[in-house]
Amino acid sequence: MSGESRILEGYVSLPYKWAMGAATTRFFEELKNKKIMGTKCPKCNRVLIPARSFCSHCFEKIDEWKEVSQEGTLRTWCTVNFSYEGQPKEPPYILGIIDLDGADVGLPHFVGGVDLDDFEEAAKKVHIGGRVRAVWKENRTGNILDIDYFQPVE
Amino acid sequence: MGHAVAIIGTGQTHCGKRTDVSYPELIYEAVSRAFEDSGLSPDDIEAVVSGSMPPAMEGVNNPHLYWADAMGAGGKPLIRIATCGSTGISLAHAGFYHVSSGLFDLVLVVGAEKMYEGNPQGVMATVADPFFQRPFLAGAPGIFALQSNEWAHRYGLEEKRVRMAAAELSVRNHTDALDNPYAHIKVKIAVEDVLKSRVIAYPVRILDVCPASDGACAVIMASERMVRKMGAKPAWIRGVGYCGEEAFFGEGDKVVWQAAINAAKTAYKQAGITDPRKEIDVAEVYNPFTFQEMLFYECFGFCDFGQACELVEKGVVMRGGDLPCDPSGGVLCTNPIGATGLQRAAEIALQVTNKAGDHQIPGASTGLTHAMGGLDQFNGIMIISNSL
Amino acid sequence: MGKRVAIVDTVQTEHGDKLEDNIREIMFGVVRQLLDRVGIEKSEIGTMVSASSDYWEGISCSNAYYYDAAGANLKSGSNAEEDSGLAFIYGFMRILSGDYKTALVISITKCSETPSAATLTHMSADPFFHRPVGLNETVVAGLQAREYMNRYGITEEDLAMVVVKNLGNAQKNPYAHRGGQLSEEEVLASSMMVYPLREMDIPSTSDGACAVLLAEEKIARDLTDTPIFVEGVGWGTDHSFLGDRNLLNGSLPKAAERAYQMAGVKDPSNEIDMAEICDITSFHEILWMEQLGFCPPGKGADLVKDGVTAMHGKLPVNPSGGLFGANPYVARGLIRIAEAAMQLKGEAGDRQVLDVSRAVAQSVHGLGGQLHSVIILGT
Ligand SMILES: [Zn+2]
Repeated sequence: MSGESRILEGYVSLPYKWAMGAATTRFFEELKNKKIMGTKCPKCNRVLIPARSFCSHCFEKIDEWKEVSQEGTLRTWCTVNFSYEGQPKEPPYILGIIDLDGADVGLPHFVGGVDLDDFEEAAKKVHIGGRVRAVWKENRTGNILDIDYFQPVE
Repeated sequence: MGHAVAIIGTGQTHCGKRTDVSYPELIYEAVSRAFEDSGLSPDDIEAVVSGSMPPAMEGVNNPHLYWADAMGAGGKPLIRIATCGSTGISLAHAGFYHVSSGLFDLVLVVGAEKMYEGNPQGVMATVADPFFQRPFLAGAPGIFALQSNEWAHRYGLEEKRVRMAAAELSVRNHTDALDNPYAHIKVKIAVEDVLKSRVIAYPVRILDVCPASDGACAVIMASERMVRKMGAKPAWIRGVGYCGEEAFFGEGDKVVWQAAINAAKTAYKQAGITDPRKEIDVAEVYNPFTFQEMLFYECFGFCDFGQACELVEKGVVMRGGDLPCDPSGGVLCTNPIGATGLQRAAEIALQVTNKAGDHQIPGASTGLTHAMGGLDQFNGIMIISNSL
Repeated sequence: MGKRVAIVDTVQTEHGDKLEDNIREIMFGVVRQLLDRVGIEKSEIGTMVSASSDYWEGISCSNAYYYDAAGANLKSGSNAEEDSGLAFIYGFMRILSGDYKTALVISITKCSETPSAATLTHMSADPFFHRPVGLNETVVAGLQAREYMNRYGITEEDLAMVVVKNLGNAQKNPYAHRGGQLSEEEVLASSMMVYPLREMDIPSTSDGACAVLLAEEKIARDLTDTPIFVEGVGWGTDHSFLGDRNLLNGSLPKAAERAYQMAGVKDPSNEIDMAEICDITSFHEILWMEQLGFCPPGKGADLVKDGVTAMHGKLPVNPSGGLFGANPYVARGLIRIAEAAMQLKGEAGDRQVLDVSRAVAQSVHGLGGQLHSVIILGT
């Protein structure tokens, strides 16, 4: 087939209402009180954050709650320097996976409190194995961003 | 033929508006019940197949990866299968081929949907291509109303007669759903209620139409070798058939519907069925719309073309008749789309193993399960029996 | 496994930035071309398995839209969504079952019509934990690369060598979307995308489609003088939550082990002659090679440095240019399989590598490579 082929432009945009379940609901409620809560699997004894209602490894239900530390170790990190539609934060910013003390799984979250204009300086403060601590938002509404970011502590 | 395949466990969630659980938790509920039913644990499973309707329904891309842990799939082979409304039967077929190929002995098959999290009709509208069909075919009722009217017209069926037969099917489904612990819509209705209910798309009224549901279904399939080893008394998959056709609604004949006819023929041939009316004891026909259910009776050879109303009028397809259809209450009362087709297979597996509880069809040994998908475009069949 | 199944032939589009044709037209084009090349009619196709994605198509139930355009009208078909490597495996299983003698496996993605990969893979992040912090494929790749660099001490220069090799190879691939003779300096001069990965470390997306015809041995031998046999398949997924996973030892080693076991391969570094793998970033080519058993962990960069994976090295990796050559998202896995089959058939033209009798193809999707498939092909 030859001839002109035009483009039809469209947009897909739909509202969603995601049920959280009891474990996530309580996890978010506790964040309002500046508490990071995990749940502990009775079988493998891992403390999972965010709190879950079942263990991904043992396939067992969980209902034992454990508060974990607001401080932890940076497992890995990166900077994000590009933008895309639906992005939750203006780039550039730093993202990390944080192993909080008392938890057996990592938490992906922002790493902040460092000046990214000077990358060399920032990289000195933000490093794998480095310690970070949760910085809370003033107004907490019960979602994962009630923790504003994790700040390097030294 | 490949290796024989059996269904050795099923698990369904309670369906409805399940805001009490997250999407993975809903799946976990169904999967746990399948393990409980089969006496197996996640460690026994060698591969997992899962699927849902368009992921836009819940707003998560790659939902199978989001739920991997809820199925105990970590570290295991996993494939996502999706074919719109027929997703559930396509999942059952995919599970079948995993075992039939000889590559696996135990496979977990999971279908799910959480339709209250998105905008079901908005998403259904996006099944239609954006160039020609999307602006017109807004949602399913319109399509099915078109199809039903064409069917009645083709055979010169009196409007009042078709209307009454459809109303009786609605009442049958609603009544049967009361006996199914997992069903969504549980209300007692009478024929007058159907006839008085609001018209959605003529001739289809609100009580002719399925709901949107949250729900999940899990089925565990096993090889013959594993069945013997476990000493299980399973439901055997005796025939599978699937057929799809053109994307454009209106291109093919939706009355003498080749996709439905071929799918049934293929499955019958594999199962050695020559007279479906006599040899099938129970059927779970995919019936999101009452009128369309009758059209399927004809395509599946339950009666001659144009004769479906009679099956309803004579009570053949009612409980107590000689070919009871949808004793679970069917899709008409429960429709978590990605799970719906798999629920049909699970229900027939329960029926032929005498485990269907209050909605058991006494003595059922061979059943037909069906689902339809695409843009009124795909049909899939599975014949399930208590003997090989 | 008693029955043997072989690839009869393959067809690809000339992948590009923006293919003008409609999806249905492109699908028809590749399938028609495949039937003509093999010399059979549509009626001789047993079954069809496709791979596409609703989010990557903007049409829900994505296979419904092109079903008949793929030659499957009034046939039994299915859709293994999101990853065409898995569609290939499903087609293979359908033939093994004995229900079908031939299977058409097809895949298409037109990235020019969709939101960016960053946005669409952001939608793969769960809505509660991963999405609010902006996880997507590229961001997770950065986290993974950073962790690897920290552990094994490889450099940005090592990564740049992968880019130079693959874009160089792509120059000789007529189906590639892009290619060129670049220097490492040029790669290192590109802007930082997600530290430590630069813009040029990450292949941008493409439009493209691919079709592969599978058949049981007897039919395959009737249809072609060079059937390429499926010797082994393996696939597997990792856990859902990123923090639960070991990003440097995920689901690929196990998937590869399954495939090698089925193929009877004990020492992949010596028994595999070439590989086509999903280099979703330059770093991932290194990581995936290690996990496919081509070298011990941490030694992947040495393979590139020493020229082992170069076009005429001992174990060429991505002579097609890989995803740097073309990255039509869902179709990319099937293209790896098609490229490996062309090499084994000796039909790879200017990019033909020498003395190949066994190849591995790998496909992957999901954040950080959550779900991998591995296919071993041989003459
Ligand atoms: Zn556990």
